[in-house]
Amino acid sequence: MNPVWGITLKGMEALRVEVEAEITGGLFAISIVGLPDTAVRESKERVRAALRSLGLSVRGRVAVNLAPADLPKEGAILDLPIALGIAGAMGSIPEVPRAIFLGELALDGRLRGVRGAVGAAILARDTGIPLFVPADNADEVSLVEGCEAWGAESLGDVIAFLRGEKKLIPVVPAVPEAKPPIADPDFADIRGQSGAKRALEIAAAGHHNILFTGAPGSGKTLLARALRGILPPLSRDEFLEAALVRSTLGIPFDRGMHPPFRTVHHTASIVSICGGGATLRPGEVSLAHRGVLFLDEFPEFRRDLLEALRQPLEDGRITVSRASGSVVYPCRVLLVAACNPCPCGWDGDPVERCTCSATERERYRRKISGPILDRIDLHLAVPRLLPEELVAVESEGGEPSAAIAARVRKAREIQRERWAGTGFTCNAELPERLVKRSLSLSPDVRPFLASMAERLRLSGRGISRVLKVSRTIADLAGSRDVEVPHVAEALAYRDGGEKR
Amino acid sequence: MTGLMRVLLLLAASGGFPPALWDSFSKEDLPPEAFLDEGPGLWERLGYSETVRNNLARLAATGWPEREEERAARAGVRIVPFDSRDYPRSLAGTPSAPLLLYVRGKWPVAGPSVAVVGTRKCSSYGWRTAAEIGRAVAGAGGVVISGGAAGIDGAAHEGCLDGGGATTAVLGTGVDVVYPRGHEGLFGRIVREGGALVAEYPLGAPPRQWRFPERNRIIAGMADRLVVVEAPLKSGAMSTARHALEAGREVWAVPGRISEECCAGSNRLLFDGAQPLVSVEEFASVAFGRQLGLFPPGEERGKTPLLTEKEQRILAVLKKYGERTVDNLAVECTMSPADVFSCLALLAAAGHVFPSGPGRWSVVPR
Repeated sequence: MNPVWGITLKGMEALRVEVEAEITGGLFAISIVGLPDTAVRESKERVRAALRSLGLSVRGRVAVNLAPADLPKEGAILDLPIALGIAGAMGSIPEVPRAIFLGELALDGRLRGVRGAVGAAILARDTGIPLFVPADNADEVSLVEGCEAWGAESLGDVIAFLRGEKKLIPVVPAVPEAKPPIADPDFADIRGQSGAKRALEIAAAGHHNILFTGAPGSGKTLLARALRGILPPLSRDEFLEAALVRSTLGIPFDRGMHPPFRTVHHTASIVSICGGGATLRPGEVSLAHRGVLFLDEFPEFRRDLLEALRQPLEDGRITVSRASGSVVYPCRVLLVAACNPCPCGWDGDPVERCTCSATERERYRRKISGPILDRIDLHLAVPRLLPEELVAVESEGGEPSAAIAARVRKAREIQRERWAGTGFTCNAELPERLVKRSLSLSPDVRPFLASMAERLRLSGRGISRVLKVSRTIADLAGSRDVEVPHVAEALAYRDGGEKR
Repeated sequence: MTGLMRVLLLLAASGGFPPALWDSFSKEDLPPEAFLDEGPGLWERLGYSETVRNNLARLAATGWPEREEERAARAGVRIVPFDSRDYPRSLAGTPSAPLLLYVRGKWPVAGPSVAVVGTRKCSSYGWRTAAEIGRAVAGAGGVVISGGAAGIDGAAHEGCLDGGGATTAVLGTGVDVVYPRGHEGLFGRIVREGGALVAEYPLGAPPRQWRFPERNRIIAGMADRLVVVEAPLKSGAMSTARHALEAGREVWAVPGRISEECCAGSNRLLFDGAQPLVSVEEFASVAFGRQLGLFPPGEERGKTPLLTEKEQRILAVLKKYGERTVDNLAVECTMSPADVFSCLALLAAAGHVFPSGPGRWSVVPR
């Protein structure tokens, strides 16, 4: 009897699981061995009912073995291979071909979508083994090129296919749609704040982390949300990476190639943000991979959480380790953080009075450690515009998001071309050691930067941060070399929360 | 250790007000040794309170003055009694002058001195003004004296250090205590860069509310001139100003908006006849009796290339209308926000403008 293959997940990675079934005489019972979790163990009820709906009554003692025996198996993803294994053991189907099957069974035999389908498709592609997935998962599987896959509506369809009675629909590799991003709110709808808008344009173009500081009601949150409307569309590979994380958590698939945008509240736990739990699930920071992670009220987040984000922000990946094992998730995120200038929020406001003591202000500022601030390329103070100031700027119709998005897209294409073959896709990802060598600075920049570095007491890391931002500014301007005005502008975003 | 020093140290830790205690003892015209020899009987005759007498007896019995001297030596702290040659002459002539000064850093700090004081909760304009005054004083070869507190005090110290000068912080705690905690770096810099931390309280004395007003008389007494930058009506800076007036010092005040609480005290001083500080550079030239260079040393302003046309446009708008956001500047100067940022960064680096609030910019007060 041939074994049937299914998969189980270890992080995002799909591991092949061999399902064997044996039926002996005796009273009816199904036992599943091979470190099944509760969901796998319960599959026997679903499998029995599903087989019965096809007129296949399971009788006798059924032993199901999931190999390798020491690998924990989780989830309802193994329902279909178990059902096929039992059907095979009953002799109801001919020899099962070499293929990977996944799917959760309904009692009436329908196949439900499962998490981990993208990982399974990658495994199928890499090993050259065909794949059978629930029709619900066909869309995400179609992202993986070079994988031979079929979508099935029900267990009946699969069995009919194996018996040669029915054809299944092959999954055709499809190009995801590059829909225009959702601009809600549109930049044109935000009055004033041209400075913050400019900084967001740079952040979107170079994938630079950004920190907004400003009084309550100055529009930090609105601005951050508007960022979504100007982010460059993902490349196919980036989209697949993002889809892989989402599929691991079973989040429904969306064909639009929008970069993810995840907003996290400051009460969130470390596990929910960094990932973890008994099954080593990815956290929000990984769900935001290739997109935006927005942390409003930044200093209100627990300090250990912010510290835990430090290394992942730098490396673009996060290792989740628990007693049950250790897995790596990607997390190349654009961090958007927002905070008040002081606990009461009115420090530096032209009208309202700040009521915080110096100590309170100091404590508030200390909540965000230097190292984490160091990983934020753009620091921007957002002014609360007074009515008369709003009136003064109102006549200037703001640029719509679509126009900014076009510039951003162009700048990102320039970056993709420049970094092609290096493994990076944008300026922010550039490791420090490569910064000075590969940015093509104009000859005036070096002496200018040297004099500024001395005057502004810039650290080495500070300088490379400024240079990366300058490179993005130059890309936005379509300039081949980084010129002095680009560097000067980057210096303005160096430290918005500078001492008073 | 001299008998006098022993008495002074005891009085400093007695829990009473040392100058007053010393006054009543010196009226007796006894040698300092008699203070301990006669002991409690004498103290009672002098009218010392019971707490003070008990403290004195306990401290004398446990050899506190010797231990304190040893601690000071270990911490690199000098103790300067009032009869020392290094005791500031200007301070000696003031009422209730401290009996001794604990000093950390270089001592004496030479040069004509200007005290710069003001509220801890200052505006960014006040902060910047104090820093510019500190810088100008340093540029003229003067010494800035202040209280080492947050806000105006800290700004004045920092401005002075940035201008390459030496500065003295008169603390309301022991000289080895850092208060406020955020000023650890600043205090270290003061000591390293030729200035000093000064206090009349024993080592390790924690911050107490009543110590700060007492400390203000030392600031006023040590300085030749006092500048009040921003001070509410009821504030330490106002008490410093009163002490300065009593000691016959010249008092200057920076005019503030009449609507702002944090300027009510300093404006009141102006009303009462203090010198209005309308220009930092003029203040410095008046105070030091000579014309200042256009560009204070320590800052290479002279080498800054001439401003571009765009930078000049921005600077002109800021000078004319005061604080501005990037939005307003972009509209008023008809420039893109990118250009505005670029110019502001260069202007700020050259010391012409500074961020005066979240997203707002102003010209540096001069």
